[in-house]
Amino acid sequence: MKYLASIINYIFELQIRFVEYLGLLKDIFLGGNRYMYIINGLAFSIGTTLLAGLIGVILGIFIALMELSHFYPLKNKKGWEKFNPISSLAFAYVDLIRGTPAVVQLMILANLIFVGALRDTPILVIAGLSFGINSGAYVAEIIRAGIEGLDKGQMEAARALGMPYGVAMKEIIIPQAVKKILPALVSEFITLLKETSIVGFIGGVDLLRSANIITSQTYRGVEPLLAVGLIYLILTAVFTKFMRGIEKGLKVSD
Amino acid sequence: MIKVANLYKNFGKLEVLKNISAEIHKGDIVAIIGPSGSGKSTFLRCLNRLEEPTAGHIYVKGADLMAPGTDINKIREKVGMVFQHFNLFPHKTVLENLTLSPMKLKGYSQVDANKKAMALLDKVGLREKADAYPNQLSGGQKQRIAIARALAMEPEVMLFDEPTSALDPEMIKEVLDVMRGLAKEGMTMLIVTHEMGFARSVANRLFFMDRGDILEDTTPAELFDNPKHERTKEFLEKVLNK
Repeated sequence: MKYLASIINYIFELQIRFVEYLGLLKDIFLGGNRYMYIINGLAFSIGTTLLAGLIGVILGIFIALMELSHFYPLKNKKGWEKFNPISSLAFAYVDLIRGTPAVVQLMILANLIFVGALRDTPILVIAGLSFGINSGAYVAEIIRAGIEGLDKGQMEAARALGMPYGVAMKEIIIPQAVKKILPALVSEFITLLKETSIVGFIGGVDLLRSANIITSQTYRGVEPLLAVGLIYLILTAVFTKFMRGIEKGLKVSD
Repeated sequence: MIKVANLYKNFGKLEVLKNISAEIHKGDIVAIIGPSGSGKSTFLRCLNRLEEPTAGHIYVKGADLMAPGTDINKIREKVGMVFQHFNLFPHKTVLENLTLSPMKLKGYSQVDANKKAMALLDKVGLREKADAYPNQLSGGQKQRIAIARALAMEPEVMLFDEPTSALDPEMIKEVLDVMRGLAKEGMTMLIVTHEMGFARSVANRLFFMDRGDILEDTTPAELFDNPKHERTKEFLEKVLNK
């Protein structure tokens, strides 16, 4: 009997604590319309990711095609037969970008290049450009691996039928490569979304930064962080689900 | 039809083909035999420039394959090729495999291309597989489709690069039968093969290649019954278990 009373008491207390905590959460996120920081931060993160993703994919395709090119201007000169300036340039780009931290690239772009007359460029544009340039290198490697990973016989069969290189690429190689590339590309896009959280280094107010702002106003460190973490998780989960659906649709012929 | 003059092919320092000259006439059925590494496949692949010859000349219907102005794609349309590993396009149905090039390269309409493709599928006995994807087919079926795909471009010569080497034994016959039918129709064919019985019964000429050279160019009967070179004898003894 005595025990039961203390258990009921305890549950009662828990309930009070819980309601109190809800009030606290309400105060953290709704007081002073602080949730707007998160919404604006979310918009900034998504905007930067989309811009960077677009630049990354376009750049990645170009760099991959450069890597795969067969351009040997000095093939008649001894020792230089295998010299391909276009692919060398592309590989140098990939090595440079992959070999340095994204945050360093971001800060160089913001603090050394976008200065003077370019000073008023929106941070979202600088960030999108920086992450796009960064992502382009990774996307290029994904595309190159996808194309090189295809059976060499596919290109040979297409060429043997009389297809010019461009037609063979468009009809035979790229449709097969896209299927192989897609999962890796999805990973890259998710990485990109999360990586934009370093944009605070150049003063951009993204999701993570919005959590910091709320912390500084409310002295609560855990809840804002958990909240943005949850938002990142939901974003990537929705995106992943969507892309798995597309992958399934592409698998008809397998 | 095809004339090869002083053909050389090196892979780096390795000389794979050494000064090969040969002439193939319309209607010829040439079986190319020889030990592995003798350059048979490389020779065949030079004929449509899937391999870039190091030196020499190849003429297909008078056109010089090595001349800078030659449109190699136009020549490849006339030279069909069948590969050891089929190389069907896995993302397209059987029918699409057959209609793609005629539509893209020869300006066939969908209707005409389909009609032609169905006729070819009849010919290789696989009409009911028109809407299947290649991975739903057996090896023998894949190779018959690959032959039909090459024929869809209405080639004047067919190159076969070990067409039955990747097949299970019970599927070899169905592919050889299709090839036999082609031979009867008078198609000019070059066949790299290890099927000695087939070479003997179908080919009118036999090339024996060894170490990058055509050692013998003669009739099958002559080569099998009366080989001139010591190396030919050795090879035949090995493959025929004599």
